[in-house]
Amino acid sequence: MSIVLVGINHKSAPVEVRELLAFSDETCTRELRSLVDGEIVREGLIVSTCNRVEILSATNIDSLEQSTTRIAQFLNRDQRLSPEFLGQHVYSHRDEEAVRHLFRVASSLDSMVVGEPQVLGQVRHAYSLAVQAGTAGRILNRLVHHTFRVAKRVRSETGIAANAVSISYMAVELGKKIFDSLKNHTVLLVGAGEMAELSARHLLNAGATRLLVANRTEESAHRLANDFGGEAIAFDEIDRALAESDVVICSTAAPDFVITEEMTRRAREKRRNRPMCMIDISVPRNIDPSAGKVPNVFVFDIDDLESVISSNIREREREAERAELIVQSEVMQFQQSLRLMDLGPTLGALRQRFQELATAELEKQRKNLGQLTPEQEQAIEQLLTSTVNKLSHPVLNQMRRFYEASDLETMQEIADSFGPEE
Amino acid sequence: MRSLLLAVLAAYLIAAIHCILAFMNKRRSVQRVAEWSMALGFIFHTAALIADWAIDGHYPLFTLRETLSFLAWALVAAYTLILYRYRTQALGVFIMPLISVLTFIALITHSGGQDTPATFSATWLFPIHTTLLIFAYAAFFIVFMASVMYLLQERELKLKTFGAIFHRLPSLSTINQLATTSAIFGLTLLTLGIASGMVWSSARDGKIWHNDPKEIFAILTWLLYFTLLLYRSSAKWRGKNAAWLGVLGFALVLCTFFGTRLLGGYHVFGLIQNLNTADFIKKL
Repeated sequence: MSIVLVGINHKSAPVEVRELLAFSDETCTRELRSLVDGEIVREGLIVSTCNRVEILSATNIDSLEQSTTRIAQFLNRDQRLSPEFLGQHVYSHRDEEAVRHLFRVASSLDSMVVGEPQVLGQVRHAYSLAVQAGTAGRILNRLVHHTFRVAKRVRSETGIAANAVSISYMAVELGKKIFDSLKNHTVLLVGAGEMAELSARHLLNAGATRLLVANRTEESAHRLANDFGGEAIAFDEIDRALAESDVVICSTAAPDFVITEEMTRRAREKRRNRPMCMIDISVPRNIDPSAGKVPNVFVFDIDDLESVISSNIREREREAERAELIVQSEVMQFQQSLRLMDLGPTLGALRQRFQELATAELEKQRKNLGQLTPEQEQAIEQLLTSTVNKLSHPVLNQMRRFYEASDLETMQEIADSFGPEE
Repeated sequence: MRSLLLAVLAAYLIAAIHCILAFMNKRRSVQRVAEWSMALGFIFHTAALIADWAIDGHYPLFTLRETLSFLAWALVAAYTLILYRYRTQALGVFIMPLISVLTFIALITHSGGQDTPATFSATWLFPIHTTLLIFAYAAFFIVFMASVMYLLQERELKLKTFGAIFHRLPSLSTINQLATTSAIFGLTLLTLGIASGMVWSSARDGKIWHNDPKEIFAILTWLLYFTLLLYRSSAKWRGKNAAWLGVLGFALVLCTFFGTRLLGGYHVFGLIQNLNTADFIKKL
């Protein structure tokens, strides 16, 4: 058996090509059954997301070329693209390379944003579809479970997903660096734009208890407040609300400062010096940068956030290098376990043959032995079994060693020297 | 005894190195090595202190060597509690090297414990007085380190540099809580320590105050941390200013702890290790 992976992703093909080849959940099961013919392609799985379409399969080892072509044709079903055009975008990997590719995909090392958490769920989903279709067998089951383990290991042992890489999530990260937990803290949204909404969602998910929304058009303030179970306040109440707010997110289209240094000073006075985090994602800026001079008030504008994000992305990329090492060692482990899976039957068969030889010899001599008591019968059987074990043990060990050194030819030679298999 | 303390030092050094490594590469496995190594060192250290006590026959908090060793031990105990309560592993980067240094100095300092006057080990107030104060010092060490961490993190946030320190140090609120709690503990222990000293002193020679530098520094220290906590609770000095006071206060603690050795006085006996008995009696 051999593992073959054929696919396209966001690096190899533009979205116009990817969308042509994508599979929907509904058709996936049916398509999978048509792919797996039990002859050339034994097992199959389809990962189809917005960034990639990949077919993973276990194929008959004797017809590798044939199977790769077959899978590529399957991917390009109904001749959606000309074969030459597809050839420019498609990649195919075999065995070790295919395993590595899958590990990297599931660990989010092959993603557009390294470390994004969705892709593992997508691989999980693809596997459950293959299980439904009945096209995941001995090899793929093993491979996919190993993949989940690798992804988990990469996530817990490296900081690949540790730091925020989106503006809306930065509010949570900065808030946590100041307040530790957002529980029992109040968030004030000034402006009800899309970005504010997204940040609010993240902050509430992270445990923020109370949400205040101020907007020039009160309807949208009310709408947003209703959506999140917050309170809408009038725009001129901001001054008062500041004193109660721990995290302030400002994103209005106002041309000048909505929150001034003076307002911030007053708020700090009323807050009895409790720290405060103000995030300004509007351009032009709505929070006077000099508000950041007020003690215990931390003001961040869009450029500050961008610079953290780019430093976080660099940090993730550094961590990704460590993740590659984990993947590398896991690929080797998997290949090893796959080989051991094949070794078992070979050794078993040889051991069986030794036992049969011994039993045949016993039968030949049986007439000379005369009538045996059950105890004698048992003793002779035991004698044969232990002799076979003692004699075969070093031979089997030797084979195992050659096997582990990937010297399959020598291993086979040893097996063959005891006569051809029946 | 020395070999046991040597093992303690080795364990603390390993812990310190791994704390620094864990701080740099953020690996949990490295942090685990640090914690286990520290735990092992702590067990050895406890054994060493008990053995000291048994062999020398006096409470192991008399000579400079013993004091430093005991202080290191108290700091490990405090750090363990903090790890359990606040999970601020980053503190280890500051505290473990310090503990190692204290242990190292204790190791190279000659033991002069043979001439300990019996009057000291006889009274039960001596161990209580010194133990309370050692733990108070340990608490103020923590306040100091938390204050430094606060100032570093605050600076990072204000300047928006977001470097390694931003990612690795705990949140401002956690550090602040740690500093406040430690200051409360430290002040309580210091109060009790001073009070027990006064009780002991009045029982010995009818005076509760000897006007000696150590006593004066101790009272100044007490006033400073009392002010710190007062200001913190009234919220006037929350944050950066309180942190600066925590750093400043520590200078005073160091003066109380070491500085009085240079100035001499009533309390000097506990620190100068090769003081002979005649001198000692003269001082009294």
